[in-house]
Amino acid sequence: MVGPLYIIAIALGTAFSLGFFKKANRNIPYAIMFLAIAFMTFISGQWLYAFLANQQEAIQIFTAGFQPPFSISLQMGLHEAVFVSMINGIGLLSALYLYEQFRDKGVQMMMVFILLFMGLNVIIMTRDIFNLFVFLEISTIAIIGLILLEKKEQAMSSGFKYLIASGIISGILLIGIIAIYYYNGTLFINDIISSNPLLLKGGSVAVFLTLMAIVLELKPFPVNGWALDVYESAHPGVGAILSAATGTAMLFVLYKITPFIADPWFNMIATIGIITFIGSNLLGIQQENAQRLLGYSSVGQLGLIMLVIGLSPYLGDNYLFIGFTLLISHFLAKAGLFWIAGIIKQKKIKNWSVLRKTPLLMVLFGIFILTLLGFPPFPSFFGKWELVMELSNNHQLAWIIAILAGSFLEAVYLFRWFGYALKKEIKETTSKIQFSKILPPFLFGITSLVAGYYTNIFQGDAYTINYLPLALVLIITLIDFISAKIKNSLAILAMAYYGFLTLPGLYENDFIRFIFMAIFIGGGILTLIAGYAYQGKRKGFYPAALLMFAGLGGIIEAQTTLQFFFAWEIMTFGSYLLIIRGKHSIKHGFSYILFSLGGAYLLLMAFGLMNAQVGMQISALSDINTHLNLIFSLLAIGFMTKMASLGLHIWLPGAHAEAESDVSPMVSAILLKAGVFGLLITILAMGAEYAQHSTLLYILGWIGALTALVGNLAASFQEDAKRLLAYSSIGQLGYILFAYAMATHLGWVGGFVYVINHFAFKAVLFLTIGAVVLRVGTHKMYEMGGLIKRMPLAFIAVLIGIITLSGVPPLSGFAGKWFFYHALISKGWYFQGAVVLFAGIIAFLYCFRLIQSIFLGQLKDNHRKVKEISIWFIIPIYTLIIGIMIFSARPHWILQPISEYIAPYFGRELTWNGSTAIAEMGYWNGEWIMYIIGVMFVLILGWLLYTNAKAQKVKQFNIVYSGERPFTPETTHIAHNMYAGYSKALGFIVEPYITKLWNNMSDAIVQLGGLTKRIYNGNGQTYAFYIIAYIVITFFLVF
Amino acid sequence: MENLSLEIVTLITGIALLLIGIWGLLTQKNLIKMVIGFALFDTGIHIIMVSIGYVKNRTAPILDQAVKTNQAAEKIVDPVPQALVLTAIVIGLGITALMLAFVLKMYQKKKSLEINNFNDLKW
Amino acid sequence: MVKNTFIFVLLVGFVFLFFNLFADFTGNTELNKLAGHYAESGHEEVGAANLVTAVVVTYRGLDTLGEVTILFLSAAIVSFLLKIETSSTDDRKLRTTSEILDTASKILVPVIFIFGIYVFINGHLTPGGGFQGGAIIASGLVLILLAKPLRQISQKLISIVESISGLSFVLLGVAGILFAAGFLDNKILSLGEFGTIFSAGLIPIIYIFVGLKVGAELSSIITNLQENQNEA
Repeated sequence: MVGPLYIIAIALGTAFSLGFFKKANRNIPYAIMFLAIAFMTFISGQWLYAFLANQQEAIQIFTAGFQPPFSISLQMGLHEAVFVSMINGIGLLSALYLYEQFRDKGVQMMMVFILLFMGLNVIIMTRDIFNLFVFLEISTIAIIGLILLEKKEQAMSSGFKYLIASGIISGILLIGIIAIYYYNGTLFINDIISSNPLLLKGGSVAVFLTLMAIVLELKPFPVNGWALDVYESAHPGVGAILSAATGTAMLFVLYKITPFIADPWFNMIATIGIITFIGSNLLGIQQENAQRLLGYSSVGQLGLIMLVIGLSPYLGDNYLFIGFTLLISHFLAKAGLFWIAGIIKQKKIKNWSVLRKTPLLMVLFGIFILTLLGFPPFPSFFGKWELVMELSNNHQLAWIIAILAGSFLEAVYLFRWFGYALKKEIKETTSKIQFSKILPPFLFGITSLVAGYYTNIFQGDAYTINYLPLALVLIITLIDFISAKIKNSLAILAMAYYGFLTLPGLYENDFIRFIFMAIFIGGGILTLIAGYAYQGKRKGFYPAALLMFAGLGGIIEAQTTLQFFFAWEIMTFGSYLLIIRGKHSIKHGFSYILFSLGGAYLLLMAFGLMNAQVGMQISALSDINTHLNLIFSLLAIGFMTKMASLGLHIWLPGAHAEAESDVSPMVSAILLKAGVFGLLITILAMGAEYAQHSTLLYILGWIGALTALVGNLAASFQEDAKRLLAYSSIGQLGYILFAYAMATHLGWVGGFVYVINHFAFKAVLFLTIGAVVLRVGTHKMYEMGGLIKRMPLAFIAVLIGIITLSGVPPLSGFAGKWFFYHALISKGWYFQGAVVLFAGIIAFLYCFRLIQSIFLGQLKDNHRKVKEISIWFIIPIYTLIIGIMIFSARPHWILQPISEYIAPYFGRELTWNGSTAIAEMGYWNGEWIMYIIGVMFVLILGWLLYTNAKAQKVKQFNIVYSGERPFTPETTHIAHNMYAGYSKALGFIVEPYITKLWNNMSDAIVQLGGLTKRIYNGNGQTYAFYIIAYIVITFFLVF
Repeated sequence: MENLSLEIVTLITGIALLLIGIWGLLTQKNLIKMVIGFALFDTGIHIIMVSIGYVKNRTAPILDQAVKTNQAAEKIVDPVPQALVLTAIVIGLGITALMLAFVLKMYQKKKSLEINNFNDLKW
Repeated sequence: MVKNTFIFVLLVGFVFLFFNLFADFTGNTELNKLAGHYAESGHEEVGAANLVTAVVVTYRGLDTLGEVTILFLSAAIVSFLLKIETSSTDDRKLRTTSEILDTASKILVPVIFIFGIYVFINGHLTPGGGFQGGAIIASGLVLILLAKPLRQISQKLISIVESISGLSFVLLGVAGILFAAGFLDNKILSLGEFGTIFSAGLIPIIYIFVGLKVGAELSSIITNLQENQNEA
């Protein structure tokens, strides 16, 4: 094997000999430099392979033939091999990426470049602290040199700032090192460790200074202005190096010298880390410049890993796993994002929509953003998971909260950015992209995926994830260029196959999970059928939809909390992609993902608390014995964000209303059930005894009741049909929450009826209204009317939908009400019950509107030739209607097994006799009700038809206003602002107080960021002042 | 003042020089003066380094007629800080040269040596 | 003014930090283990009379390679930086240099060069060495440029000297791995008779290259600055 010293020799030899080529064709020196870096990569790679394959001990390399401490020694072990391989790998790709710059700027920059990487290699390998200083200086100076690759006005002044700042920092480091030498008599790191450097006061100050210098090299918030300027002004390829390569090497240095320090100082590092993580992410929120934003994010990520190093006493054996997964994610993603920034050359994040011109770049962008944020299946997901679990095992809840808060802030700006890229108008076109520029981010994107997979494998059997659905998503992403019809068929096939694999087993073993899986898969297939109505390629639709369904399936299949959370995040991201596809959905998608993430973090915290007591099995949730209220509250709130309960609902109306016609039912009828499922397993885990006296459930009950009221009331005042349905979903989910919060046998059976009904009728209604909207081209109900003549099938569908919704016999909605009121009385929740009852009455108001405004009355002029809704919508709609009919007539097919399932948990209140349900206060037979009402309906219909024949027809807008004809006659019709009267009386309830509250909160955060950013006044001298002040203040805090 | 031996005097001198350097770096608005401040700061550190290697009443670590090889351990001061300071001086030189080159260029661009005129990037 | 007060308070805090740092500083009365080893065995292991040189070139040879690299980097960046065009319209008016300076430089420069070479060749015996010698040579160059500010110094020559000496340094280091005990081991050549010019193995040769390289690097920085001014 080639010795590690040859890395140094080759780099130096190359750098020195490049001087011969100053006048030559620049391709020759470039080729030499490239080969040199390739060879360095090869050397480090073969060591990495040797350590991974043979598990051999680290080797020491002595220079000058003397043992340390007398000479400088290097160390090559597994850790060193990993890090130098990472550094040299990114060096190789950077060399490729910067080819044009090197060709334009000449040999000097090539020298600087290769010396930078040599410096970083030695920093990682050396075991001599002064040698560390020397090579640190080399890499610092080299970075300053590389800033000049970009011929920008500001590059000069930002280089000067960087010089001043790093000059002071290296001075501090030097003082620390020399004092360490004085107190310990050695410069050899191993000897310093064994001689207990903190023994004397002076010795500990010496270590403090060294430590501070290295921490400052990691650019802690707020002492990092000069680095941010460099990120902004340097070439993005250099930004990638500074963030990924230099940052990585410095973290390794910090890791290397942590044995110097004792426990209390770890807290100091952790505090610096968390301040950096939260502070820079806060500032990222109001940043519009892409490269500077990446700078903030880099600083933040390095802070996070610093935090992990600082928290290492709590993390036990998992410390390196956590630190490394977070680091590799930062490494891959940040380099990738900088590289993409260099390809598309857009300063403002608003203009990143040009990414859509190159789907590959868009996908890579998404991969990197998710990698940064710790989404599955990327390495950081597992890292963050373990971090939270370990902290929780050690009762460090405050740290968890701080980390999740920082992560949330990071998500805010990254998703804002991602949203811009997905949705903003494309203003200009990009020029042709060279292969040499796209290859590096492409390789890193692939590595990110592969690394995620192997991270999970590395974790062992307890962490098994079913990657099959994700593999299907990947395949459908790869064939995204083909026609939508084929992809649609493939997607349906894939879903059917997934159902075939999972449903029979669940039917045997776990009926409740079976129900939900059937809703997810069956509903998925039905809504996908509607997709045949779309023409063209529908780029990006199928990956998103399948991702969501893969997540939904994973939630049901999950045995452990990790699997659950994995699937939950997949589902969240997939649904986000679906929602944001809508025409005006940029802000709705944004608020959806923020609420979802906030909820997910609460879940994560709860899983952490649970893990500390009973481990990761979901079934063990019922065994927890401390922090019960906290864990259950966190879970409940987390799931309620997905159920859009009052207070957490503001994302829903826009998200559902603006979505595409076949997406609305997916995200409404199907997706919301994920939250319900989560809530359900939470309450099941509580057990009857806890549930009976639970204040939490009592509160949830009230929230459910109020959600139902506000949701229904708001639905009544909508002019937009889809928005009406969206608010109606909120209301319906309120009922469901209420029903489950009762935690009684009857309540739960009622809850299930609501779940199944809501799935069926909301799918029917959204599909039908969506199909109608596709035909008439408007969402506004008052712009429709009389469509019964053109679309009778749609009319019947909506009619059946609202009959089910409003709980009128004979359809299954009535069954829901029947169980519901029985449960109410037996539970004794009369006040809440009154609210719910009132809400139920209001539901009639909006149901009536759907029929009256859209289908009855006069046909509008421009709709005279409109056709019946597409057959591809009719098929799923009527399949669902048949389902509703069967469920109404034979409810016991489903409800009896559910009833049996629940009885052991909450005590039996209900027995079944064929299709008859018998409770304490009465019985109900769906089948007979069906027959009776059917007969009544036919009789009344016949009578109506008979009398209708005599009716006199009136012309449309047969009205005159003082001789003037109104410009928009539709708005004079009763269909417009139909419930103005009610609105006056009750409108105050639906005033957007909650929206305002959330808006104020986010405004406050943005303003805080705006104030804080003033510390970066751009003045190099001020930054120097910060450095000194940071050291002195920290000194007084620590000593 | 018996305590005030040579190494203490040089140490205090070094620290004083270092502080003067920082003061200059933080208060002077002129770029060149800032660079001078940095150079003072650096020099102060070098003096501190040398004084740390001093051993009372001993001579330079060079073996010649005055210091025989067999009694070197009793006669010479610590050679390590001297070697380190040599390296540190050269590094400081490199950084200072680079700073001056930057200043030169910045001046040529804006015809100003005021640090306050170079706040282009912020926030 | 408020700001200056802040800075003052800060520096007082810094003084306090230093006070703590050196709270246990009593000065040395004897060498520590590491230095003691150098003092006792340095002359046998390395063979250089100047122990600082022994430490600089052999024991801590990697540091020296690093510092040469830093100078090299600075020189490369300075030369790159100064070539970046800036729209400058300054007219530079030169006074003619005085007769004394002109004549003295002609006499002194060769002497200075020879002195520089002497300093780095004897680096292992007397105070001095490659850096000191290189700096002296570069100062000779400054004198030349002071006398004749418009004189063109061949960048190409400097660059070639720089490259060759740097490359030789690295190759000698690698030769240490191949033919002796490790990177930069000076025992490729015999240690010779202690205290003479041909002793200490590879050290004098390395110091020659270091001297040339440092001289070249500093010269490169100086000539670049000069050219930049002349163009302006």
